[in-house]
Amino acid sequence: MPVSAGYVAREATTNLWRNRLMTAAAVLTVAVSLALVGSALLLKQGATNATVHWQHGVNVAVWVNGDASPAQYHAIGAELAQNPLVKSCIARSQAYDYNEARQTVAADEFNATQQSDYPSSYRCVLQNPSDATAVVQQFTGKPGIFGTPSSPTAQIRTMESVIHILQWVFLSVAVVLLLSASVLILNTIRMAIFARRREVSVMKLVGATNWFIRLPFMAEGLIQGLLGSAVAVLVVLGLYWGIGLDTTKTAANQGNLIAQMSMGTWEVAATCILVGVVGIGVGVAGSALAVRRFLDV
Amino acid sequence: MITFQNVTKTYKGSTVALRDCSIDIDKGEFVFLVGPSGSGKTTFIRLLLREEIPSSGRIWEAGKEIGHLSKWRIPYLRRNIGCVFQDFRLLPNRTVFENVAFALEVIGRPKHVIASQVPQVLDLVGLTKKSGNLPGELSGGEQQRVAVARAFVNRPLILLADEPTGNLDPTTSLGIMRLLDRINRTGTTVVVATHDAGMVDQMRRRVIELDHGTMVRDQARGMYGLDSAVSAAGAGSPTGTIMEPSTAPVARPGAQAPIPGLADSADRPGRRGVES
Repeated sequence: MPVSAGYVAREATTNLWRNRLMTAAAVLTVAVSLALVGSALLLKQGATNATVHWQHGVNVAVWVNGDASPAQYHAIGAELAQNPLVKSCIARSQAYDYNEARQTVAADEFNATQQSDYPSSYRCVLQNPSDATAVVQQFTGKPGIFGTPSSPTAQIRTMESVIHILQWVFLSVAVVLLLSASVLILNTIRMAIFARRREVSVMKLVGATNWFIRLPFMAEGLIQGLLGSAVAVLVVLGLYWGIGLDTTKTAANQGNLIAQMSMGTWEVAATCILVGVVGIGVGVAGSALAVRRFLDV
Repeated sequence: MITFQNVTKTYKGSTVALRDCSIDIDKGEFVFLVGPSGSGKTTFIRLLLREEIPSSGRIWEAGKEIGHLSKWRIPYLRRNIGCVFQDFRLLPNRTVFENVAFALEVIGRPKHVIASQVPQVLDLVGLTKKSGNLPGELSGGEQQRVAVARAFVNRPLILLADEPTGNLDPTTSLGIMRLLDRINRTGTTVVVATHDAGMVDQMRRRVIELDHGTMVRDQARGMYGLDSAVSAAGAGSPTGTIMEPSTAPVARPGAQAPIPGLADSADRPGRRGVES
């Protein structure tokens, strides 16, 4: 039997309003925990962007002129491979560096360039990271080399590890909070079931299907999860614009860490979507458990 | 319409609520289920509602064997059964109309069907004028009429009533019984579990008597007490089976005062058994 969406929505909202204090508690817990999840994800994304050249333990990036001949390009590669300080190198094309710049360079600046403006590069892991300066010096000014090879500063490495720890702290607190949010939602639904036990018994008596009885309660949990995640999404967006993580502010923040952590709209959108999905999941899980456990249909 | 085949129902702790019951109830019959408290009447009703399943034996209802009915089919079975209880079970925050409409809403009937069927059934039970009242504003009898209306609004094949007059005074009870009788005349099979001797004696319908879970009597046009049944049978009443209970009945002449205007109180026999 089809269950009318209007009926489910009406019943669910009536119940939520009747039980508004508990609902508020559950929604706020979901909101706080998901805001933490969202922030952790933003942090992680920011850290990834800030250290984008330095992933996989890369110690030195050697930039090769975009207009260097293939022979020059291969010569530099061979030289790096033979260098006793260098353990291994990955060759990155112009296209790769161009795409990477999309994340690390301010949007308007990036839009003014095209792929041919970018260098290609070798990303090298050294035998001993402390030799980075020596390698940088050896390759600065060689034919075909673009500017100065880069190496990560100590700041970047510290930031990476701090963000790594922060991220785990945020995520573990968020998991605990999400659990308590599910339990709160479960309890709200249980109270709603108890408050409506007369109606439920009449419904069973006159032959309402199990889903017809269950769906309004499930919808109630879903709405709580949705409301909580909506608040969390606002927090995430506030953080994004508030501290200037959007690429439009990169120019203003030029040179500082925030600029390096800046990210595109789609990355924030993905974070918000994830927060929403987790919120819905928590709401549905809490109410499903309550319905299974306390609604004997 | 309803068939019990050697049905036994044992609850936890080996309490036998129903013992080896075999009963056939045809479509359109009106049956009184009588017996003292604890005799198994309510279990009988609960089995028919598929709130319980028999420990052994089989039950057919509206052409289906309901003991092995899968769980998702139970609601559809219950749509063919209306049920009325002693405590009315109305929703206190809904009006009379809404209470009756609720039964149709929750099985997904469209609004126009609700709008046409609810007033019809409220007219049948004589509560058209009170359709906007809350149950709390009605008398006990009126509330039970609402419950009957709710049970019947979906035109079920079977109407079950568990002590429908248990909370009502004799005059009001008579009204409810007349209502059940009217519903029965529409072709609905009606099964009434009751203590109300006056009612049973007055209506003279088929009586099934249970005692400690055993069926001790199945009599067409019977009366409440066994003594009255015997005398009625002696007076040449229609056919019926009278089974002697294992324990001899204790006659209690004059245990209950006759109700004026309800039963043939002139030579009303005493009731059998002790009720608690």
